Amino acid sequence: MKDSNSSVVSLQGKLHRKTGIGHQLRSVAANKLLYLMILPGFVYFVVFKYFPMGGLIISFQDYQPYLGIKDSPWVGFKHFIRLFTEPTFAMLLSNTLILFALELIIFFPIPIILALMLNEVRHKMFKNSIQTIVYIPHFMSWVIIVSITYVFLSVDGGVVNEMIAAFGGNKISFLTSPEWLRPMYILQIIWKEAGWSTIIYLAAITVVDTQLYEAADMDGASRLRKMWHVTLPAIRPVIITLLILKIGSTLELGFEHMYLLLNSLNREVGEIFDTYIFTAGLKNGQLSFSTTVGLFKGLVGLILVIIANKLAKKFGEDGVY
Amino acid sequence: MGSINSLRIAEIENQKLKTYKGDMHMKFRYAKLIALSICGSLLLSACGGENAEPQTNADGKPIISWLNILHSASPPTDTVLNKIEELTNTDIQFSWIPDASKEERLNTSLASGSLADIVSLTILENSSVRNALKAGVFWEVSPYLDEFPNLKEISADMRNSASIDGKLYGIPMQKQVSRNGVIIRKDWLDKVGLPIPKTTAELMEVAKAFTEQDPDGNGSKDTTGFIDRSDLVFGAFKTLGSYFGTPSGWAVSEDGKVTPEFESEGYVKAMDYMKELYNNGYINQDFAVTAKKDQQEGFAQGKAGIYVGALFDSKNLLNLAKGVQDDMDLIMVNDITSTGKESDRAIWSTSNGVGGLLAFPKSEVKDEAELKQVLKFMDDLMSEEIYTLMTYGIKDVHYSLEGNAATITDTKLWEQEVQPFSSSRPNENGYDIHDSDPLRVESDRLIQENTKYAVLNPMYSLESATFSEQGSELQKIITDATYKYILGKLDLQGFQDAVQTWRKSGGDKIITEYEAAYQAVQNK
Repeated sequence: MKDSNSSVVSLQGKLHRKTGIGHQLRSVAANKLLYLMILPGFVYFVVFKYFPMGGLIISFQDYQPYLGIKDSPWVGFKHFIRLFTEPTFAMLLSNTLILFALELIIFFPIPIILALMLNEVRHKMFKNSIQTIVYIPHFMSWVIIVSITYVFLSVDGGVVNEMIAAFGGNKISFLTSPEWLRPMYILQIIWKEAGWSTIIYLAAITVVDTQLYEAADMDGASRLRKMWHVTLPAIRPVIITLLILKIGSTLELGFEHMYLLLNSLNREVGEIFDTYIFTAGLKNGQLSFSTTVGLFKGLVGLILVIIANKLAKKFGEDGVY
Repeated sequence: MGSINSLRIAEIENQKLKTYKGDMHMKFRYAKLIALSICGSLLLSACGGENAEPQTNADGKPIISWLNILHSASPPTDTVLNKIEELTNTDIQFSWIPDASKEERLNTSLASGSLADIVSLTILENSSVRNALKAGVFWEVSPYLDEFPNLKEISADMRNSASIDGKLYGIPMQKQVSRNGVIIRKDWLDKVGLPIPKTTAELMEVAKAFTEQDPDGNGSKDTTGFIDRSDLVFGAFKTLGSYFGTPSGWAVSEDGKVTPEFESEGYVKAMDYMKELYNNGYINQDFAVTAKKDQQEGFAQGKAGIYVGALFDSKNLLNLAKGVQDDMDLIMVNDITSTGKESDRAIWSTSNGVGGLLAFPKSEVKDEAELKQVLKFMDDLMSEEIYTLMTYGIKDVHYSLEGNAATITDTKLWEQEVQPFSSSRPNENGYDIHDSDPLRVESDRLIQENTKYAVLNPMYSLESATFSEQGSELQKIITDATYKYILGKLDLQGFQDAVQTWRKSGGDKIITEYEAAYQAVQNK
């Protein structure tokens, strides 16, 4: 709603655009109703997103809550130096990047494939029920999903291990071995989120002009050909947009999911920025240091989004802004 | 919340606005309204946190708020609370924090200043709690204690142990000095024909027999010796460590050299012992990810026969097993050693008997008069009458009394209405009334006996800035390495490398600081 408003505003602005602040003001005055409609959204972002950013200042202090920002001692880049020189930093960065890469390579294409496949299903009832079934896991919280996994994979009486044992194999300690953490993490994400993301692509597919398919039919294109030459190019902008957004959240893997999976034995591959911030900041009370980690994470995300957006534009796509 | 609502109102107003497009007058009126409502809501949300608190309730009783830790599943109902309020002539308002999330909740409360008249600080070693104490957020109470009959009784030792930099910032919660030991299924012992173990080697034999000789007699090998949880301190590991002579936290040599417990020989022996248990399958294989609740339930379901933890857990375990394992018979052992010599008996002490501090923030307890009011309340809580209420409940409702022996008559009701209070008692020692349950009497006796052999943490009340700041972060290195060693993913060299990493990342600094602090106290 906000976007359409602003585009209308800019459109009307363009009609009598001349240079100079006076004209700008006049165009604002002429469209004040529209500006008024933006106001709630604008206020929301200022109050809840921009105003709190002021708190980032504490990453340059030894912040103590009872002294407040005003009286806490300033320490310059102490926390940044600690972050970049601590051995944990390399571990955090590599863990985060590896998980992100896995998510991008393995998880990202799955909803697209799923959407294409569902689109080819002719039976409407069947299609709808499949669609519903695959997106329901999205509404479950990570606590539930991780608990279910725990019950299934436990060495002491877990179903999967009992089956492995029944077939004469050796029990595998999925929950405590570092090598199983990443596959488990990615599979859980796929189970929970694949269906949900599919909906977005399906929505994009429904607006594809049917004439294109008819034309392709005339040319004798097979279904696979139509998928490749009509459907996929049509949803390309959506894919690119989602990809850029995804890249922006590279270091933002989500706290809850990983925190639930972590234990002493898989920490070396599982500790990521989000979980580290929680333990350092909230559990151990190092508020300044964890703010520093958060700031670093945010900056990297910002830079990545800008780069991805530039690249997208270079290849002739729209980008997100 | 307020601002969201007014935003929604603003949106609705916006839509209305369209219909009145022609009328300029109307427009301005609405615009003003919207601007006003938004500004108003901002103001409201800005000052929402600073309610002026009334000191007394409608009946003229002083209101005492208490940010307290909840060790059971749900907060207590009002029955016992009303009784306590009646006896102390106060209106108590609890905010409960679940024990599992106490660190983050206490820290956020401290950081945001949303405290209460009384705050239960059970994690004194946590850096932000320590910083808050040192920064003077809470009242120093030592000058006032002697004015109150029960608070006066707090021993000088206890006051010392609970002090930071020589200052006592609250009422210490007095617990037993050392409550840990081994709980074994006696019926299984009899079945496999083994005596009560006195040494760690005999304990291993018992674990082996429980695993291999089908003690529950169901024809399949589905039991293990030990059942443990993912806790190197309150689980089996630290207690076993004591049996091998590991110091508690830190060791100080004659010439004032400080070394961490994990550099001791006993620590490695305890790891080897755990490793042997794990490799032979004498312990639940997933102990590294097992929660306390699952551990206790597993024991109650007859999955294992050896439980290491607080000795008074025996009663809970037996309660849990009712209807599941009715022939369960438990025996508690607190005199195991690795050598079999009485002189080597040792058991680590849970924070030297200090369960934490009940502290009073200056932001809530505004002046001396109010502080004395709260201290009076604390004093009342330590009286025999209220101790009884908080421990056993109301007579003939929750328990029956015979002489000084109390018998819980309705366990379910007791769990709901009384149990949550029991962990908030300022003092747990030295009362006449006691539980009539034989297991409880026995565990109380053994815990009392433990005091003689308790290994205290010599650094508990000393200061190290680095430990306060990074101690728990660094401890993770050791905890992770310990688990890996036990599960065979790290050899001794690898473990020692981890210790070196610990030293390099700040451990050396901690040691130097502790040595200095120790020296300073010795020279006094």
